[in-house]
Amino acid sequence: MTERYSIQESVQRPPCRKWFAQVVLILSMLGLMLTGCASWQPPPAEFDDSDLRARAETEQVKGVKLSAAVLSTDDSQRMFGANINGAGVQPVWIEVENTTDQMLWLLRPGTDPDLFSPLEVAWSFHTSFAGETNALLDDHFHSLSFQNPIAPGTKQSGVIFTNPHQQSRLLNIDILGQGQLFPFTLFLTVPDDRTDDDTALENVYQLIEMAVDDYQNADTFRARLEQLPCCATSADGNAAGDPLNVILVGDFADIVTALVRRGFRSSALEFDSVQRLFDRPPDIVGRKIVTGGMPENWIRIWVAPFRYQGKTVFVVQAGRRQGWRFEEIEDKDLMLNPNVDEVRNFLIQDLLYSSGLSNIAFVSGVGATRPGELRDSLGGASYHTDGLRAVLFLVTRPLSLSDVQILDWHPYLKLHQTDAVKKIGNDSN
Amino acid sequence: MACKFKTILASISIALTLAGCASKGPVSEIEKLDYKSRAITRSDGAVLVSASVLSADESHDIYGVPLAKKGIQPVWIEVENGDDTAYWLMSPGLDPHFFPASETAEAFASTYENETLEVLDQHFSALAFRNPVPAGTTVSGFVLTNLDQGVKMVQVDLVASGRHKSFSIFAVIPGFRSDYRARRVFIRELYTEDEIIEYTDEKAFRAALEELPCCVTNKDVSRNGDPLNLVIVGGLDDAFPALVRRGWRPTEQTWSGSVLKMINSAMSGERYPYAPISPLYLYDRPQDFALQKARDNIHQRNHLRLWLSPMRYHGKDVWVGQISRDIGTRFTIHSPYLTTHKIDPDVDEARTALQEDMVYSQSLVKLGLVKGVGAAPRDAPRRNLTTDPYYTDGFRGVLMFDVHPTAITDVQFLPWEGREGGFIEYTSQQQ
Repeated sequence: MTERYSIQESVQRPPCRKWFAQVVLILSMLGLMLTGCASWQPPPAEFDDSDLRARAETEQVKGVKLSAAVLSTDDSQRMFGANINGAGVQPVWIEVENTTDQMLWLLRPGTDPDLFSPLEVAWSFHTSFAGETNALLDDHFHSLSFQNPIAPGTKQSGVIFTNPHQQSRLLNIDILGQGQLFPFTLFLTVPDDRTDDDTALENVYQLIEMAVDDYQNADTFRARLEQLPCCATSADGNAAGDPLNVILVGDFADIVTALVRRGFRSSALEFDSVQRLFDRPPDIVGRKIVTGGMPENWIRIWVAPFRYQGKTVFVVQAGRRQGWRFEEIEDKDLMLNPNVDEVRNFLIQDLLYSSGLSNIAFVSGVGATRPGELRDSLGGASYHTDGLRAVLFLVTRPLSLSDVQILDWHPYLKLHQTDAVKKIGNDSN
Repeated sequence: MACKFKTILASISIALTLAGCASKGPVSEIEKLDYKSRAITRSDGAVLVSASVLSADESHDIYGVPLAKKGIQPVWIEVENGDDTAYWLMSPGLDPHFFPASETAEAFASTYENETLEVLDQHFSALAFRNPVPAGTTVSGFVLTNLDQGVKMVQVDLVASGRHKSFSIFAVIPGFRSDYRARRVFIRELYTEDEIIEYTDEKAFRAALEELPCCVTNKDVSRNGDPLNLVIVGGLDDAFPALVRRGWRPTEQTWSGSVLKMINSAMSGERYPYAPISPLYLYDRPQDFALQKARDNIHQRNHLRLWLSPMRYHGKDVWVGQISRDIGTRFTIHSPYLTTHKIDPDVDEARTALQEDMVYSQSLVKLGLVKGVGAAPRDAPRRNLTTDPYYTDGFRGVLMFDVHPTAITDVQFLPWEGREGGFIEYTSQQQ
């Protein structure tokens, strides 16, 4: 039996603090070294990728065609001779067909800023005293991995090793040409983890299609955003939920791309589904993962029943759980942190680094709480807020930090200007 | 694989025992100053930014809780905005994994029964830097970052509507030990003006890069180690901010003071981290600094070592370096601590990953490849100083930075090596 060590698991193990534990580890290590570890066996036959191709999603951007599919545990066993999925890695097969006249390069950090290298994954299957087998294993993993560049008129396929996404996977692929970016966003099902979520994503597309009202004028759009309810509600509509404090405007793919580039991964919990807007739970939930694999904050997204200048509008709750990030909390104990404005403001800052944010504005609509006052939400949570919604516009064209425009929709700045001047006045007294 | 995991833990524990306890050196001038007095100020037009990093004792005094014990380090920032527009300070630019004030309050609320969460929350929130910084005002406060030891690269990105200003400050953190050897390095200037070679001709510069040694060496230059597979053109204003934005941080104990001296001359004679544990050598000295990027898993990091070269290109500093991807830890008899990082033998992968990552940094203007490492095919790999095998196509990655923000599509390719657009055919597979 091949022994494995889960890359993800190791994160969550608390560091050994006691000496006796370390001695036990040394002893068990020696024991394991003496008993030896069974080594890797190459897969018996050439991998038949017809199944993968059959279920792959495909998208074409100008002269570039991308196909992609997430490998199942069975696929990775047959292809790599090892259960990569079991080691906390999600292998994704991709094929890029380049019919342009330029050389192309797949930018891996756009897909996952913390991607694993092929030999890194291979190394986690190495066994002691098995040099030759380990070398074969390395070669095998390397030969199946995706290789840049993609020359004009050619097709390149292979596997990239990403961090796991459950249920459905939003795959972002940035392909760079000469002064040109070919961005792709695909929705892939995760074969071993099929749930109702797959249909939920199809619903998202339908909901986007169903949004008929298309506001052309900034003032009427702004008025519409201000009229949205302050908050989500409970399932029976009787109790107020978390505030709807962010609006995202753009093509679906552009919004997802920006979020993925900043490390958000799709992850919906029971905890999220109690929040209702437009008579339904969130259409998508994303969580940002920080170093160590611990969840940092969430965005719960609903497709709005209207558009702005043809673009999709998302109504969003940006929030963070209560508690220290390195403290493990069971799902049932999750609770909203009261400082929702802080999460909203840091989300804006985070998206400023996504190269996709073009405009920022604020509108009212959440309703401010009085100083010292907390407003109740679901599950015993409460929060305080300045009552504003951030409106973030996302685009395809890559932008730099100096290209972002701040729209003068709300006297947000003037309020803060007065505050700051007051504060300086107080300090000098 | 379970055996490997345990091997790693066991060897780390042995290493920790051997490392022993740290002893504090004498108190230096800088430690006698409070954090505001030792703050370093930089300006761009009418905007002035000052920054200072708190020691563990200072942060305990100000926050009332031992922040350093939870790996949190406050950075004090003051922005004096003499410009005609409001600016926002970007916390993710300082540290992509910074800690919000409210979360930090919660981290300590459960530990301190006497302190209610509300009191801590209000206290921490009052200390936090509050955006925006309106035109004509001065705003100061703390951003809570992940703990660095010895020195910190503080990257301040200020964003206004249609504008961006970037400031980089290297701050010395009081409270860390030093040793005699490193102090000697510290008071020495790296290069005299006569030793500096200025290049403006691209061809000549490329030729000079090709002439650099293939690899780092051990101290007496008797053996070659990891390949010198990286050239960075730029410095404090452009290259380092790019690295910080993408999550690169200085490693502990690996800064030679000479670089600090050069960057913050005002800090002369002050404390600096002690010498690296396993130094690699170029130009007769260990790396001037080392950086690491922790990835999703805290056990896995990418490592990058840099040496300041005597070359300058169009007035910009040229750094020569080595990058590798650590994929685990293993036993070795070639290190006094019995453990070493197992590097990904495909060293070109780490080089390429850095180039791709920097495309997203907003500061990269040009990238390319240059000869000089010498190819080592997969079936005949070379070995580094800790006998890890590696193979390579023989190229160094070249990265040129500029302070002006650059969008992804505006990054240019140096037509040096490889095919059209500087792309190189990935050949190691065929070797």
